[in-house]
Amino acid sequence: MATGIPSFKVILHGEYGVGKSSIFRRFMNDTFTQATGKQSTIGLDQCTRTIDLGSQNVKLTLWDTGGMERMSFIGSSYYRGAHAALLCYSVNNKDTFSILSQYILDIVMNAEGAKIFLCGNMTDQLGPEGSEGNAVTDTDLDQFMSQCQDVLSGVYRVSCKDSSGLEEMFRDMARVLHQDTMSRMTMRRDMIRPGDTPEREQTTEKKRCC
Amino acid sequence: MDETYDVIVMGTGLKECILSGMLSVSGKKVLHLDKNTYYGGESASLTPLDQVYQHFGKPEVGDKFGRGRDWNVDLIPKFLMANGQLVKLLIHTGVTRYLEFKSVDGSYVYKGGKIYKVPADEREALASSLMGIFEKRRFKNFLQYVQDYDENDPKTFKGVDPSMSAKALYEKFGLDANTQDFTGHALALYRNDQYMALTSLDLIKRCRLYSDSLSRYGKSPYLYPLYGLGELPQGFARLSAIYGGTYMLDKPVDKIVMEDGHVVGVSDGKDTAKCSVIVCDPTYAQDRCKKVGQVVRAICILNHPIENTKDAQSVQIIIPQNQVGRKDDIYVCMVSATHNVCAKNYYLAIVATTVETDNPEAELKPGLDLLKGVEEKFVSIVDLYEPLDDGQDSKIFISKSYDATTHFETTCDDVLDLFKRITGEDFDFSKVKHTDVEAVGE
Ligand SMILES: Nc1nc2c(ncn2[C@@H]2O[C@H](COP(=O)(O)OP(=O)(O)OP(=O)(O)O)[C@@H](O)[C@H]2O)c(=O)[nH]1
Ligand SMILES: [Mg+2]
Repeated sequence: MATGIPSFKVILHGEYGVGKSSIFRRFMNDTFTQATGKQSTIGLDQCTRTIDLGSQNVKLTLWDTGGMERMSFIGSSYYRGAHAALLCYSVNNKDTFSILSQYILDIVMNAEGAKIFLCGNMTDQLGPEGSEGNAVTDTDLDQFMSQCQDVLSGVYRVSCKDSSGLEEMFRDMARVLHQDTMSRMTMRRDMIRPGDTPEREQTTEKKRCC
Repeated sequence: MDETYDVIVMGTGLKECILSGMLSVSGKKVLHLDKNTYYGGESASLTPLDQVYQHFGKPEVGDKFGRGRDWNVDLIPKFLMANGQLVKLLIHTGVTRYLEFKSVDGSYVYKGGKIYKVPADEREALASSLMGIFEKRRFKNFLQYVQDYDENDPKTFKGVDPSMSAKALYEKFGLDANTQDFTGHALALYRNDQYMALTSLDLIKRCRLYSDSLSRYGKSPYLYPLYGLGELPQGFARLSAIYGGTYMLDKPVDKIVMEDGHVVGVSDGKDTAKCSVIVCDPTYAQDRCKKVGQVVRAICILNHPIENTKDAQSVQIIIPQNQVGRKDDIYVCMVSATHNVCAKNYYLAIVATTVETDNPEAELKPGLDLLKGVEEKFVSIVDLYEPLDDGQDSKIFISKSYDATTHFETTCDDVLDLFKRITGEDFDFSKVKHTDVEAVGE
């Protein structure tokens, strides 16, 4: 259990329906489903993967929202201890993009010091050049990035359907997060997670029931 | 919200969130509403500090006590027994992975105006200045007996009939009134002296819970979550959501819709969500509850740790009722920046007790005196409610208000009892199967 591998909590965030659970599924077992809505999100919680960066292995634990963003606020506890947030939008839905500054504020407030990564999903659905419609254009993206330059640690475009860009994204996030901790080593040692944390040395050989 | 659900849960306090999670896991379709804009109801942790000032109708202070955002102030302070029911629920439901805990530094008991570390094992008992030399030996024998006791092995009863009263057991070991006081109140955590007439088995079990909890992580038998207790209901809400539960906050409920004496839905004034069962806290169904008492609590901001606790960063002090001529104990809980609930160099202490007089605030004096000067104090007196009936006919199952105890054992008793009344069976932990995948490396 207690390997020395650096490990990072990454939370998914963004409007409902932009494909957060789809990204989660690609991360977890490289699958894709057309199913949509609340039902398709059930059971997805968190998933840990070890990523080989050549010189070093790094663990990423990705958290899905549990669909809690649909009707209400996601709650502060989701953000606790997050090293990074993967902020998702759909490249062909401007609304899911323009709301992102609000999400950034939530992340900055609730997960102090978390790195923020931006991910445009559904690139497979982009029409030919010039048929943008409601799509998020390069100009939109440039504008947004210049507004929050220092805040973003990475910007990606992916498609969960044809699986393009995803592995590269996970790997790049792992690399950035690892580099960041190398520059400021912080370790928390006295944390207790009941059921996980080894208990104090036993002086008596009593049986435990859980 | 005009859909059909199996259960509608109202209020996102800890009890309702645990139930919502357990019901979703059991395959029920759950809608969970709250009239507030935040999770937790009465078991929320308020943040930033100005929200606490607002809550108590005082002018805001901004960053007067360090950064306001660093504060997460529980309205109802409690600690988790490391080997208690809530920790078991957290582990078996997997919710423990959403939270982080730290041990509470110290557990103290009040005697004759001073506080003493609670001696919980034979070694500590012998070193304690709480008792004289002969009393120490008697108490040591008592602890040894409790440690060796095995409910299923009559040999370990050593001639004591398990139905013998707690009082008689004390007498058998010759424990004096002082020792009885801290055993019953600081180890067994009884709230008043009515337990003396209960069985010695109950006393023994409670003492064991204390010592088993203590042996888990050291220092004290108590755990406390980082960022405050408000994290707990949120953890269980996430569990519920992951199993399909739908959440709506900031949703005022207009009325509970009844037909033939049982519930059929909940209306927000416009739409009606249908359901066959409601679970809620007393504030959502006042007319179906009775007032059973009051609790007075004082939330205090300190700029120093509590005296004679070796500068503990978190501590519980129990003032047994006998020591101050009362019927109910007074509790002091203190937490600090180590648990991420306040700004550095500040301390958050809460003194609470069950109201016995017309001047509740004065009842807290023995506890407040231990704090030796507070920077700020927020006093609240809240009514405690219980449902009028068990909900079997109306199918409206109402939780009890949170009592003055500083641990979650009574909270869990209520939750497990409600679950059984709602579903007719005990919760099946084997139904918990959500992803905790450690995907294989590349
Ligand atoms: N064409 C295409 N469809 C996608 C892609 N990613 C996701 N989808 C579809 O978009 C829909 C919503 O995806 P989800 O992953 O459920 O979105 P979500 O953000 O988790 O949504 P909620 O959990 O409901 O808030 C599903 O029908 C997916 O199949 C993609 O890259 N391309
Ligand atoms: Mg989803």
